[in-house]
Amino acid sequence: MIAAFLNIRIKQFIRAMSGLGLFRVVFLSGLLGFGAFVIFMLSSGEPNSYYVTGGMVLMLIILHLNRRDKAFLKTHFNAYRLLFLVEYALIAFPIALVLSIHSQWIPLLLLIASIGIVTQLDYKPKQRSTNSLLQRLIPSAGFEWKAGIRRSLFFIVPLWFIGLGTSFFIGSVPIVLFILGIIPISFYENGEPIQMILSYEKNSHQFLWLKIKLQLILYSAITLPLIGAFILFHTEFWYIPFIEYLVFITLHIFLILTKYTFYQPNSKSPAASIFASIGALASIIAVFLPIVWLLSIRFYVKSVKNLNFYLDDYN
Amino acid sequence: MITIKDLTVSYEKPIKVINGLSLSLGEDTIHGIVGLNGSGKTTLLNTLYGIKKPDAGEIRHDESPLTKKLMSYLVTENFFYSNITGREYLGLFKNQAFDEDKWNQLFLLPLDQIIDGYSTGMKKKLALLGILKQDKPIMILDEPFNGLDIETCRVIRSILLRLKEKGKTIVITSHIIETLTNLCDFIHFLENGAIKISHDKTGFNAFEREIFESIENRNVQMIDDLMK
Repeated sequence: MIAAFLNIRIKQFIRAMSGLGLFRVVFLSGLLGFGAFVIFMLSSGEPNSYYVTGGMVLMLIILHLNRRDKAFLKTHFNAYRLLFLVEYALIAFPIALVLSIHSQWIPLLLLIASIGIVTQLDYKPKQRSTNSLLQRLIPSAGFEWKAGIRRSLFFIVPLWFIGLGTSFFIGSVPIVLFILGIIPISFYENGEPIQMILSYEKNSHQFLWLKIKLQLILYSAITLPLIGAFILFHTEFWYIPFIEYLVFITLHIFLILTKYTFYQPNSKSPAASIFASIGALASIIAVFLPIVWLLSIRFYVKSVKNLNFYLDDYN
Repeated sequence: MITIKDLTVSYEKPIKVINGLSLSLGEDTIHGIVGLNGSGKTTLLNTLYGIKKPDAGEIRHDESPLTKKLMSYLVTENFFYSNITGREYLGLFKNQAFDEDKWNQLFLLPLDQIIDGYSTGMKKKLALLGILKQDKPIMILDEPFNGLDIETCRVIRSILLRLKEKGKTIVITSHIIETLTNLCDFIHFLENGAIKISHDKTGFNAFEREIFESIENRNVQMIDDLMK
């Protein structure tokens, strides 16, 4: 049973790769190779090996909590937890290998134990119909923000107030800005139904500019007060949050363009997800930033072309 | 008048899902399209709406190409963006004159709750409210009665008949022929990617009988063999 299921997983992976095309596969392999090299170098000693292990475990937890096939697996397979275990072990194998090479035995043991614990997690995040004042301030056209804020409201609000309240510490606002910049990455994961993109009654260029404009306004609305507070206390370092703000704005534009380059109604594109992770990496590893900027230009052209299929009647 | 001429559509060549289909759909009327599973109903509607490119043929509205500006489309599957409320979904469609709460008295939807918690029927009702709010002259409805209770089916039937009186052209599909015979002005039978036969109201009874007999005769031998 497990072998059959893993066989399906391999086929799904091959199909996703075929969907990406040869050029992108080569390009992504290069980036992954670079990422693997960075991780290899990082995990050679403590405490970095713990951070790498922690990152891997966090990724597995997010993956486990968000996977949508849990109900299916539970109803069809008695040994569904064993299936999770095998899948997560395979995903974590490269990190385990790197930790073994560097003789980082404690982080390795922690990783193995964590995989076992993750498979036992049976928590489903509760979806709430929160209709706060914040929701009413977001325009209807910004439905990604409405959905995203609803999902993360109980995290974003305390975080924002902590950032503002502790802005006299030099590190506080930049850290909060970083987290607030990362959160919207998940807002653009899913393709909306075709009725939703048609509801704007705009052509592809107008549609993309509207999406970018909304993102800029909404992101600025939550970050500018924090930046203002930082500048008030640390005027000489005004450029730190300003650069951070600019970097995240370009990343968010990249995400929007990536989403609509690969947009298909009602679906989550694997290609868009992979490119979004490159965007997320660019916020940590600055080497990726020029790639993100160059890809943004390319993806603008491609997303216009892709959206034209749906919106050509509004040209 | 919507005119479809020599329409051919395929997903993987050389298999043609729609094969040289020609059809005229008059205005201010309700047109039903029936066919078995896989006969090409949804493909035809997707092509009509412009989200599937035809290999050949043309679709025109009077003398101009048919555009999405004139149409609203209710798709079969109930897919909505996650974590938004029913009211937020309806808020995307620009029609200030549409009173969501008044219309909702017919459907009784919890509009301020997120759609993810809606039942299948509730999602269908919400999608229908969206279509009604768009208020386009041509309405394309793919299986609108799927998953709905008897009362809602009757409510929708009454609404569609009123919309026809107000000058809308409605194209509707169903694989349950009875849902169309008491609603449509014309029924078109789709088989192997082409319209095999079209009937107006006077021919519905004979058409229904003919279809059922043909299906039963086709399968009776096999069922007999299996049930021995």
